[in-house]
Amino acid sequence: MLKTEINELLTQTGPGTPMGELFRQYWIPALLAEELPENDSPPVRVKLLSERMLAFRDSEGRYGLIDEFCAHRGASLWFGRNEEGGLRCAYHGWKYDVTGQAVEVPSEPENSNFCAHVKLRSYPLVKIGDVLWTHMGAPDERPPLPEFEFAQVEPEQTYISKRWQESNWLQAFEGGIDSSHVSWLHSGGLKSDPLFKGAKGNEYNMNDLRPFFEVADAEGGLFVGARRNAEEDSYYWRITPWVMPSFTLVPPRGDHPVHGHWWIPIDDHNCWAYSFDYHPTRPLTETEVAAMRAGHGVHSENIPGTYRPVANKDNDYLMDREAQRRGEYFSGVKGIAIQDSSLQESMGPIVDRSKERLVSADAGIIKARQKLRKAALALQKDGTVPPGVDPAHHRVRSAAVVLPRDAAFIESSQDALTAEPGKPHASV
Amino acid sequence: MVPILQNSCARATSLEEARYRIDIPIEGRRGARVVALDDGAATLVRRLAREPWNAARFYTLPAQEPGEPGTWLHRTSGSSTPLADELAEGDVVVMIATRNDASAAAVETLGRAAAERGIMTAAVALGRQEGMTNAVRALRPYARVLLVNGEESDVAELLTAIRS
Repeated sequence: MLKTEINELLTQTGPGTPMGELFRQYWIPALLAEELPENDSPPVRVKLLSERMLAFRDSEGRYGLIDEFCAHRGASLWFGRNEEGGLRCAYHGWKYDVTGQAVEVPSEPENSNFCAHVKLRSYPLVKIGDVLWTHMGAPDERPPLPEFEFAQVEPEQTYISKRWQESNWLQAFEGGIDSSHVSWLHSGGLKSDPLFKGAKGNEYNMNDLRPFFEVADAEGGLFVGARRNAEEDSYYWRITPWVMPSFTLVPPRGDHPVHGHWWIPIDDHNCWAYSFDYHPTRPLTETEVAAMRAGHGVHSENIPGTYRPVANKDNDYLMDREAQRRGEYFSGVKGIAIQDSSLQESMGPIVDRSKERLVSADAGIIKARQKLRKAALALQKDGTVPPGVDPAHHRVRSAAVVLPRDAAFIESSQDALTAEPGKPHASV
Repeated sequence: MVPILQNSCARATSLEEARYRIDIPIEGRRGARVVALDDGAATLVRRLAREPWNAARFYTLPAQEPGEPGTWLHRTSGSSTPLADELAEGDVVVMIATRNDASAAAVETLGRAAAERGIMTAAVALGRQEGMTNAVRALRPYARVLLVNGEESDVAELLTAIRS
């Protein structure tokens, strides 16, 4: 249960809101690099944190993220021409560079300095891995660039997709640290999904449906450990790191690639779910990449030319009652990603958390909400830099390990939970 | 069957449709039992007991008690009470430790008694994990949910979230 005013604080991310200002402290994914594939490629409309912008890549390969609307009459620059080092409005020909600076106003005299005083709001756009990242906070508070391992390994070791989720970011993110739903909602996938199946850990998962949970503070967020019986003298631990504000890693299974997510608010009723797979020590195989492209694992099959899943709320997520009866999919919905989105969207655009009935097993969610609220209020009150901004906080890993029954999961897994180039991941 | 009304398909997740959700008061939890395992936790529990709660009950461990540690509890009002009586209507036991020497025997008694009755167990270990290893080791087998590296406010947050 959460008071209505705290629910509003955590779910509203527009300009000037406490949580919106918190998100603006971080480098966040703005779009995939594939969306701007070459110099002078068509501009892309981007809405993030309730601000409408336009991303483009100019003739020299520079990326820009600027206000979507022309300063002249407010027409969308999406209709503009991306050419010769800038984006020209289709209406009256005003032209802007990647910083949002007007560089030509054709109606003014040739030697006029009018355009020097016209600048659209803009944010940096930086390619790291297959993601274009932005920082929407104050330029003088811009932190160092992010150092998440999935975006730093060689290109052949990583794959990322994104999908539109029609719900507030918080209920999508909360699914990422809610380990107890996996044995239920995703139980079918553990047996059949090509990116999950075959791991010894899956047996431990399915043989013990009542895990114990431990939640431990981390410098950048939390570690959530789910403990299940393994052998007589050991436990199977699945450890999920959360880096603030909304980055999580799924504990790995066998030698499968490691999955993870970033949830980014589009506005208060929609978010992007960025989902990735990477392997820290080897290239992804063709079979793995084909499975990811087909929407297996944490990925979704999207409507061609869009990032909207084929299975969405307009078609009841292609619910298949026969598959549900057969036990193929616990909910009747195919695919891990859509299993999550179908239930999270069913809660409504912003779930009313004053009506929920949490149990102590939801301690990870309870603690995460508390950390977000405290960080947002501390930022508002005295400018405290929140956890997760420092790139050192990004160098984490998830882990799936079998430990002696008396071992503490954090101390015993310290090395496994730290990202280092070329180090194998800890997985069962 | 193809849905013909908005409320019979997934489009009913709109904000507008949320107006039609059945809205009845939610009954709070009746059976939260909060037990301090050491002196530091006792101070916190006494303070929490003064807050308005739904039906949560707060206890400390008696300094001297008959029988095994944990079989008797001390109410924050001062009187002693058998654990078995207090668990009769319980649905979650929340144990709180602030020191590394929290009574492992009491934890075991509480944990076993809760497990026998099908009562959920949770624990909050306040303080840095490296200084709480013994307490965490004692709690781990009996707390189905364990918050380590906890802060004082975690206890109130947890109790509030589960409608104690």
